[in-house]
Amino acid sequence: MSDPRTTGASRFAEDARLPDMLYARILRSPYAHARIRSIDTSLVPDSCVILTGEDVRDLERYGPQIQDQTVLALYEALYAGDPVAAIAAPTPREANGALELVFVDYEELPAVTDVLEAREPGAPLVHETARIAENEAAYFEMRPQPGTNVCHRFRIRRGDPEAAFAGADIVVDETYRTAGAQHVHMEPHASVARWQDGVLEVWTGTQTPFNVRSDLARVFHVAPEAVRVVCEPMGGSFGGKTFVRLEAIAAALARKAGRPVKAVLDRSEEFQTLNRHPAVVRVKIGATEDGTLVGARIWCWADTGAYADSGPGVVQKMGFAAPGPYRIANVWVDADCVYTHLPPNGAFRGYGQMQSTFARELVLDVLADRLGIDPVELRLRNVLRDGDVYATGETVHDCMYGECLQAAARAVDWNAGRRGKGLGLLMKGMQTPSRAEVVIEAHGDEYIIRCGATEMGQGTWRTIALLAAERLGVDLSHVRVEVPDTNVVPYDSRTTSSRTTYVMSRALDDAVRDLHAGDGRRGHGVVVIEGGLDPDTGAGVASHHWHQGAAACELRVDEETGRVEVLRLHAATYAGRVVARAGAELQNEGSMIMGLGSALYESIAFADGQVTNANLSDYEIPSFADLPAQLTHELIEKPGAEIHGLGETALPPVPAAIGNALKTLDVEVHELPITAEHVLNALERQVPA
Amino acid sequence: MRLTLNGEAVDLDARSDEMLLGVLRADGLLSVRETCGIGVCGACTVLLDGAPVSGCLVFARAAEGREVTTVEGLGGDDAVQRAFASGRAFQCGYCTPGMILTAKAFLAETPSPTEDEIRVALAGNLCRCGSYVKIIEAIKEAAT
Repeated sequence: MSDPRTTGASRFAEDARLPDMLYARILRSPYAHARIRSIDTSLVPDSCVILTGEDVRDLERYGPQIQDQTVLALYEALYAGDPVAAIAAPTPREANGALELVFVDYEELPAVTDVLEAREPGAPLVHETARIAENEAAYFEMRPQPGTNVCHRFRIRRGDPEAAFAGADIVVDETYRTAGAQHVHMEPHASVARWQDGVLEVWTGTQTPFNVRSDLARVFHVAPEAVRVVCEPMGGSFGGKTFVRLEAIAAALARKAGRPVKAVLDRSEEFQTLNRHPAVVRVKIGATEDGTLVGARIWCWADTGAYADSGPGVVQKMGFAAPGPYRIANVWVDADCVYTHLPPNGAFRGYGQMQSTFARELVLDVLADRLGIDPVELRLRNVLRDGDVYATGETVHDCMYGECLQAAARAVDWNAGRRGKGLGLLMKGMQTPSRAEVVIEAHGDEYIIRCGATEMGQGTWRTIALLAAERLGVDLSHVRVEVPDTNVVPYDSRTTSSRTTYVMSRALDDAVRDLHAGDGRRGHGVVVIEGGLDPDTGAGVASHHWHQGAAACELRVDEETGRVEVLRLHAATYAGRVVARAGAELQNEGSMIMGLGSALYESIAFADGQVTNANLSDYEIPSFADLPAQLTHELIEKPGAEIHGLGETALPPVPAAIGNALKTLDVEVHELPITAEHVLNALERQVPA
Repeated sequence: MRLTLNGEAVDLDARSDEMLLGVLRADGLLSVRETCGIGVCGACTVLLDGAPVSGCLVFARAAEGREVTTVEGLGGDDAVQRAFASGRAFQCGYCTPGMILTAKAFLAETPSPTEDEIRVALAGNLCRCGSYVKIIEAIKEAAT
């Protein structure tokens, strides 16, 4: 048995080469906020093409939800790492050399690099105005707050939580901070761009081919049909390769050079390109002494950096699922997406859910302890069941939260003693609204599947092939899924939010019906998922169905070093039905391990707005040596249920489980990651004076 | 410079300041991949006289007259490759060649490893997809 991944035959976006291609390098601002007085390019050799703000002033701004980004900084650099110039040269070595010969005269300006300071009146404004994007990625109404750095505000207003707190027996009010994180996909961002006869072709690693196409068309003033985006498989993405990243710079260089241009980021640049939102989350929950949750107020302040990217969407999702899978009659949520002069933050596996899940699940354990009720029992008394109404007003179905929680508790022998053990429960939305299409082409007894689903290691092409084979009644070997090419495949919103397995299964149902209804040569399937929320009240349908999962752990602490040793980590996730067993297992395991990194190790560090640990020696991701002694999980299925995506479900509850377990050892946690230093400080505080 | 590359004697051009990683990629061996560039991730692992090294840290000229093996040179039917493929011990597959080569060198020295020994031996190869559990299973499988 062999596989291209084991023989070296796999090709990624980074491997794309075109004849006569030039290699790009990007010059970035060293300042968090600076005016560009002048750029001296006189020493750059003639063999190189140099691009500065002057070359891109005629181009439109871009951004999936707010159009706040220019191809290069025009007048001001807005974060340390903001691209101010780019070089294309015959070799990467010449491009690097030429980069050293560009001199930029900057005037440093006041910068704001803390999310809470940024939202204060009088803070330096990162952008004066916010232009709302007019495309499909802006799938909800934006609520920028004029005169502030808040580029989107989302609220839930249901009932009267303050009145509920007045009648509650116990109210817990705690605030938590979570750090920024890097995706660290092993393959860097890589794009190749070519212009031919007014048509722009881009070979790139992206989860969002159609969004890249529409934004590039807008930037370069051409029709969407004049932009072709080909999505080679990615060496990991985790949300990092979404929307326009390198593509616009590569395309602008190629336009000026009249030759194809390839751009690949080096590892330190990844930390200056897109990260996960650091957030401050305050959770206030009240309960009566029988353990009924009567009211919740939650505030989320998320740092989206200098450009909004998909921050408004991340923050809306952080907010709308923050109350969690519990019946609470009175809920207010205030979630602010805030600009700062830091690198942009955007989609990251879990899409805002880790931050708010961590805060809420820790508060629930504080509440349980103060009520004298077991944390599992407290959750089960309030957990959403089929037919319940969630804080958005939507009626929920296919609820398996209680089952996930109990399965996770069983896996760590919860009833045999709680010391060193903790749990977390997740409710996570799936992209709503959205649209997916698929085409099936029959060539004899071979079938070609064309759709926009992109492959980043999650195995979606195999999953789609399995779904198609099952529906067509043929062996898997007769089905092939093609590399997405926007010139060929029908529309798909994007490969995000663990939506693809579910929506493609339904689109394939439709396509097979169409195939059999017609001449048997071609079937076109469409699925439209409807819903959406009012950003001022939170009323509507947040998610067509919800991703559900729980994590539980058992750990101990080395009192000498402060090291947290996770002995057992278990996740129970709701699959509805498993399509590709090994792939589903790998997604669960990978999510848990990434969650372990968020809980204990990963934090992007800054000094004066500059990332100070932009390498894999100082920024540590989990290795084999960091695995818990036992890392296990289960996929819960239910006959007749909808397929539930599994790409992220097992990540967000892991830091919550670890935080709650540490509390049983008297280590109070209010911040992620939980460092050895924090653990030692917490243990020292317990020592009687 | 002359070296033995995947079992064949070859001549490669390499400047004195070039790393083995870049020279092998320029020669079309695209299984050797750059992630960290500082020798901590293992994605550019190759075997130099049978021992795993990071291609990003070894000067190409240091391989002169020696034997370099990349995953392309294993033939596809090596026991470790088979175990990874049948055990689906990968997701995106970007780190897989480095994992396979490290595992191969490790198993040559430790034919019947314990799980703890595998975890330590492979700790210099990172997989951000987090396929570690199935990689450990594959290495156990290859060892039997």
